Amino acid sequence: MEAFPSLLHGLSVAIQPMNLVFAIIGVFLGTAVGVLPGIGPALTVALLLPVTYKLDPGGSLIMFAGIYYGGMYGGSTTAILINTPGESASLATAIEGNKMAKAGRGGPALATSAIGSFVAGTIATLGIAFLAPWLVEVAINFGPADYFALMVLAFVTVSATFGASPLRGLTSLFIGLALGLVGIDELSGQARLHYGVPDLLDGIEVTTLAVGLFAVGEALYVASRHKGAPEKLEPVRGSLWMTREDWKRSWKPWLRGTAYGFPIGALPAGGAEIPTFLSYATEKRLAKHPEEFGHGAIEGVAGPEAANNASAAGTLVPLLTLGLPTSATAAMMLAGFQQYNLNPGPLLFAERPELVWGLIASLFIANTMLLVLNLPLVGLWVKLLAIPQHWLYAGILVFATMGTIAAKPSVVELSMLLVFGLMGFLMRRYDYPVAPVVIGLILGPMAEQQLRRALAISLGDPIALVESPLAAGLLGLSFLALIAPFVLKGLDRFKADED
Amino acid sequence: MNDKRRRRLDVSGLIIALGLLVIAILLRRDAGHMPPPPAYARIGPEAATNVVALGLVVLGLATAYTAWRGAGVEPERADWGPVALITLAFVAVIAIIGLGGGFILASAVLFALTSRAFNRRALLVDFGVGLALGLGAYLVFAKLLTLTLPSGPLEHLF
Amino acid sequence: MVGTGGAARTRIKRRSLVVLAAAASMAFAGSLGLAGSASAQIAELKIMAPAAPGGGWDQTARAIQSALTTSGIVKGAQVTNVPGAGGIVGLAQFVNSGKGDGSLIMVNGLVMVGAILTNKSPVTLEQVTPIARLTAENQAIVVPANSPIKNAQDLVAALKADPAKVTWAGGSAGGTDHILVGLLAKAVGVDPTKINYIPFSGGGEALAAILGSKVTAGVSGYGEFEGQIKAGKLRLIGIAAPARVAYIDGPTLKEQGVDLELINWRSVVAPPGLTKEQTANLVSIIDKMAKSPAWQETLKAKGWDDAYLSGDAFGSFLKNEQVRIADVLKSIGLTQ
Repeated sequence: MEAFPSLLHGLSVAIQPMNLVFAIIGVFLGTAVGVLPGIGPALTVALLLPVTYKLDPGGSLIMFAGIYYGGMYGGSTTAILINTPGESASLATAIEGNKMAKAGRGGPALATSAIGSFVAGTIATLGIAFLAPWLVEVAINFGPADYFALMVLAFVTVSATFGASPLRGLTSLFIGLALGLVGIDELSGQARLHYGVPDLLDGIEVTTLAVGLFAVGEALYVASRHKGAPEKLEPVRGSLWMTREDWKRSWKPWLRGTAYGFPIGALPAGGAEIPTFLSYATEKRLAKHPEEFGHGAIEGVAGPEAANNASAAGTLVPLLTLGLPTSATAAMMLAGFQQYNLNPGPLLFAERPELVWGLIASLFIANTMLLVLNLPLVGLWVKLLAIPQHWLYAGILVFATMGTIAAKPSVVELSMLLVFGLMGFLMRRYDYPVAPVVIGLILGPMAEQQLRRALAISLGDPIALVESPLAAGLLGLSFLALIAPFVLKGLDRFKADED
Repeated sequence: MNDKRRRRLDVSGLIIALGLLVIAILLRRDAGHMPPPPAYARIGPEAATNVVALGLVVLGLATAYTAWRGAGVEPERADWGPVALITLAFVAVIAIIGLGGGFILASAVLFALTSRAFNRRALLVDFGVGLALGLGAYLVFAKLLTLTLPSGPLEHLF
Repeated sequence: MVGTGGAARTRIKRRSLVVLAAAASMAFAGSLGLAGSASAQIAELKIMAPAAPGGGWDQTARAIQSALTTSGIVKGAQVTNVPGAGGIVGLAQFVNSGKGDGSLIMVNGLVMVGAILTNKSPVTLEQVTPIARLTAENQAIVVPANSPIKNAQDLVAALKADPAKVTWAGGSAGGTDHILVGLLAKAVGVDPTKINYIPFSGGGEALAAILGSKVTAGVSGYGEFEGQIKAGKLRLIGIAAPARVAYIDGPTLKEQGVDLELINWRSVVAPPGLTKEQTANLVSIIDKMAKSPAWQETLKAKGWDDAYLSGDAFGSFLKNEQVRIADVLKSIGLTQ
């Protein structure tokens, strides 16, 4: 185990004052761009990468890590404060986080998000240092059939985001699935449901849908009810900081979120969304006060935020050990490496250990700087909610438009933003949950592709779907999760009879 | 749900059910245009479309059934004026950007009209605030951080 | 020779006109002095990357931008991204609103040729003005290190025995990797509609499937496989280059009896409706850029092969590729 001394050495390099300054600048820039609705961390990094070109390798890596964490935290901030997930991985955060903000608990929500990200990032960094070689073996052996089983599990747990009525939740989910069909089918190259619009060939952008449904839909809904009873927002009610109770309710979700995020993030097609959904569902199941879910439960922010951050560190496992860029973010990291004529690959750990450990240490430093910079800013962020309502929503719409158009400069994209906004308004009005639509759009195409890949590899033999023990185990787990509520209900009745 | 008033036919529920069935038909028609599945996959690009269409049919029928039974909850009265105004604001933004009017002008129009929709009566002041906000955002994000934003006559001044 | 210009003429400007005049035919060289003042002076070159920030075309566009400005070939250059559908969204905008604009270029490549056909784009590369091919990447076929397939003959034999059982991992359907497998099937006499090609979305995901032996073989740019090949986790079966490449330790497919050549090239094109002077001016700008030390350094840093080919030679290359790709896409059943 020489991992630990190497990590310490990396840290000692990264902690030089100049590097700390770069980390702070990076975090600041990343947060500034990341708060734009519709611009996720990967795009933030892509847009800001040129800024890092002028620095020396060490400083550049650190600023890069800072931008990345800043971008991720920026997305969570908008999710909590203005109910607009800037990227798909902060969708779960928006569900509970915004309810908390509306109840004057935006401060604790932002704090649990920042501290949870820090905790998860720290644990996951240690995970890279000690578990990477072992974890990557598992990850490589994950085939399409296993992924499909994982998606099935994610689908089953999604019902946690449905709210009160399963019929309405399922309807929302299926609308999302239908939207997910639009565009070129990846496996056959056939275009589905595009109606001759070339912009639709790439499918519907998750961020456009999320920003439309959440930000624009919410603005329309609030405006439509404004005359009757103007909604009064109180930026701070109770403590601005996390109370003892908040800490008590947050630490377990942080750990569980990390436990989901890190390994799933390490899978080549795992991503950040699935662990956040799984974490949200788990916290809802395990919560002492499940009735608080949907009305601002801090566990529902703490868990997914930790999962999101841990999965980001997880994607570094295949990148550093095998040179596999498995997410948009990892691909951007690869671009960062290439600035120094380095191609990460299986030999990187052996050939350039100082660089690998430098990067891991940079992530750690950037993560710490994020906490240092953003915790004091929580008070300032929350003040945003004190802006008069007409200006607040007008500003939200301006920035939502800006984020969408900066990510994809096209009039068609803006038109979709409006259509999804109207859809979000109607769904709110008729009491349909909006989160399952976005989840359907994310999970649907993933599940379909993995299923069809698995079948193509097995030449159409469906037995292949349960042949691997991993896939069989995951499917079994999904089945249990599906019937558990009924069984538990039955048990309760049984117990009641006994009494 | 025993409230007598809610027992009547839920019209919005029926419209939603109809909408779901229409989407299902559109999906089904699109799946019909797909070529047969490639050699070995067994299921091709049409399979998922058909599954989703089938799901929507089931959900549409279930929604229709509950609407028929009158289980729907009457939404509170909405103010359609502000909704129309914000929609108009977005249409204006799309037109301005499509015709090359630029980001700052579009921001100002969106800002002023949205603010008006929230019952504020200071259109010119808000237009000014919107211009300032758009300009600030443009300078920071497009000039300083090199994001690409649509430019028009105002942007070319900088 | 063009001394009539104002005092504002820079040294760079003069040089560009000399090159331009040399490149142009004598017939219109005389009128160049007049046209020069209107078109040759490009205050700002607009470079369209028909892809999202971060991808290959975007990187190429930004590399061109920085080479042009650091070498002082143009005063300024700006990159715009118009992502969508393999570049055809950008192409449509480029052709429709860029007509006659002599200060606009677009980065494109082999992938766009395929995307135009599979997406039935109403706008095609017939409409653009070819400027130059810039870079290329060698396409490689690999198998997992523990595979019984040792060389191209083994692979061809397996493919001939039962094309269904040879599963291929690569990029998107109808993309460069898919085209390569289709060309291979055709070259060895296997029905291209029978190939079992499995597209993956990211390079990492495909690579993981190959490393995990989930598929028989993998296709991608050599750069994606290089580290794994050197580490002994993947076996290089062959590259689709016309001849051996210095930095690649492995045979070509051609020398193993598979008549197949395919490089993944990237190029720049200009909008339709340009005057001869405008075209010649852009060709000369790109020509200088391609020869500049800044560009050569970028090529080295990014690991791109120099595949510079300009003007008419590039035009006919582009025509040939379009015919060949159309043919193979039809035979693998992606287009009618």
